[in-house]
Amino acid sequence: MILLEPNSYVLEETLLARFNSEKPEVVDITLVDFDNVIYHVQTSAEQRTLLNLSVEMKYFNEVCAYGAKSILQREYGDYLVPVANSQYQITLQFNLEQLPADKAGLAKHVSMLKRNVLASPFIRAFEYWESQQEGAGPLMATHYRENEAIYVQAQQDRVTVIFSTLFQEEVDRVLGKVFLQEFVDARRQAAIQNAPQVFYSSREAPLEIRHLPGLRQDESVGYVSFVLFPRHFADAEVREKTISQIQLFRDYLHYHIKCAKAYMHSRMRTRVKEFLKVINRAKPDRTTAASEKRTASGRYFRPQFRQSSATSPQQVEGEW
Amino acid sequence: MSNTLRPYLSAVRSSLTAALCLENFASQIVEKHNVPEVEAGNTKEVLLKPLIVSRNENEQVLIEGSINSVRVSIRIKQADDIERILAHKFTRFLMMRAENFVILRRVPIKGYDISFLVTNFHTEQMYKHKLVDFIIEFMEEVDKEISEMKLSLNARARIVAETYLSQFV
Repeated sequence: MILLEPNSYVLEETLLARFNSEKPEVVDITLVDFDNVIYHVQTSAEQRTLLNLSVEMKYFNEVCAYGAKSILQREYGDYLVPVANSQYQITLQFNLEQLPADKAGLAKHVSMLKRNVLASPFIRAFEYWESQQEGAGPLMATHYRENEAIYVQAQQDRVTVIFSTLFQEEVDRVLGKVFLQEFVDARRQAAIQNAPQVFYSSREAPLEIRHLPGLRQDESVGYVSFVLFPRHFADAEVREKTISQIQLFRDYLHYHIKCAKAYMHSRMRTRVKEFLKVINRAKPDRTTAASEKRTASGRYFRPQFRQSSATSPQQVEGEW
Repeated sequence: MSNTLRPYLSAVRSSLTAALCLENFASQIVEKHNVPEVEAGNTKEVLLKPLIVSRNENEQVLIEGSINSVRVSIRIKQADDIERILAHKFTRFLMMRAENFVILRRVPIKGYDISFLVTNFHTEQMYKHKLVDFIIEFMEEVDKEISEMKLSLNARARIVAETYLSQFV
């Protein structure tokens, strides 16, 4: 599968198993999602029929400023607990006896939690564009990972999304450059001429964010800008799809870099096996005819290997 | 450019075949020791003059001979960043498995990408012409492998970019 899914599949499966189980059992499961989001599924201490889902999202405060709380209220209002558990930012509580009929749908909806929360800066940017105000909108930054961030800014006729991504290793850097160059060049193809425009710079930040303090601008950092045109977010359905896709860009890129490295590794291993075969041809081996020499009475000759000191071939009792 | 490949390889082949005339030589410095003289370098009279066969300045083979051992070092063509990384990874991969390859050296000589060390014991145990075959085939295969990996990497990058961007359309 080339594309990553926007929902958390493991969370969906876990919740569905809990919803569908006959007897509410005590559970305490910790799950991880992309971008350091941790889910904690736990049966409530007071009542066994209450299931708590706590989410730890370090960047929740930033996203609240862009309206994440109202999105949460709208999507999961029935289950939202006003004050989250300690060290977690969001808590949902499910009563296992009072679930709606469509349990699978609910599980899927909940697994989109991270996607919906991170959608808030995008939705705000699109709303700004819809309001057709003059000039550029506010620059919204979300530091969703350590040392990496997404910047979203709306303008009158487009929305710009800038990713800053960190490449830890030299190999990643070179591979990343190859992949990102292809992203930039992909528009030349007729089929995807309508796709967003992509720009890439390997050290310097793009003009829109250069004024921000604390920007990393060294060799290991890359900046990728997407220019989204109205056709990508004017229509509601297309808008949702765009948001889901664009959030996952950084993870998608790094996932494919790792896949490319794994593929090269397996190719090299095959090649090494081939080389080993060639060098083993250089070693004179005992031919099968020689090792099966036998006398008339049925005994075998077993010749010694050349390098050891014993020279006389041994005689072995063969099967009659 | 491949019209220089055949004469290059045949020159390397004949130089190697000539250099691989090895005989046993016990160490003159320490009693009862038997050392590959090209590695030790202590006894000057048994070392032969090193020979370089080059196709161009980026591809060379250095052959250092002695009475009981020969060191062959190869510099692989690396045109850009990607090829440099691929060649480095590939040779490192091979050198970590040097035990299986018997004649491979774990560390290349400075200025070269990969080195082989063939001693008289190897030529006694293995067919000499097959050893030379292996080294020549190795040189051909490595170049082919690196360019194939680069091509597949570019193809993969193109597919990844296309799939992602076509989701927006």
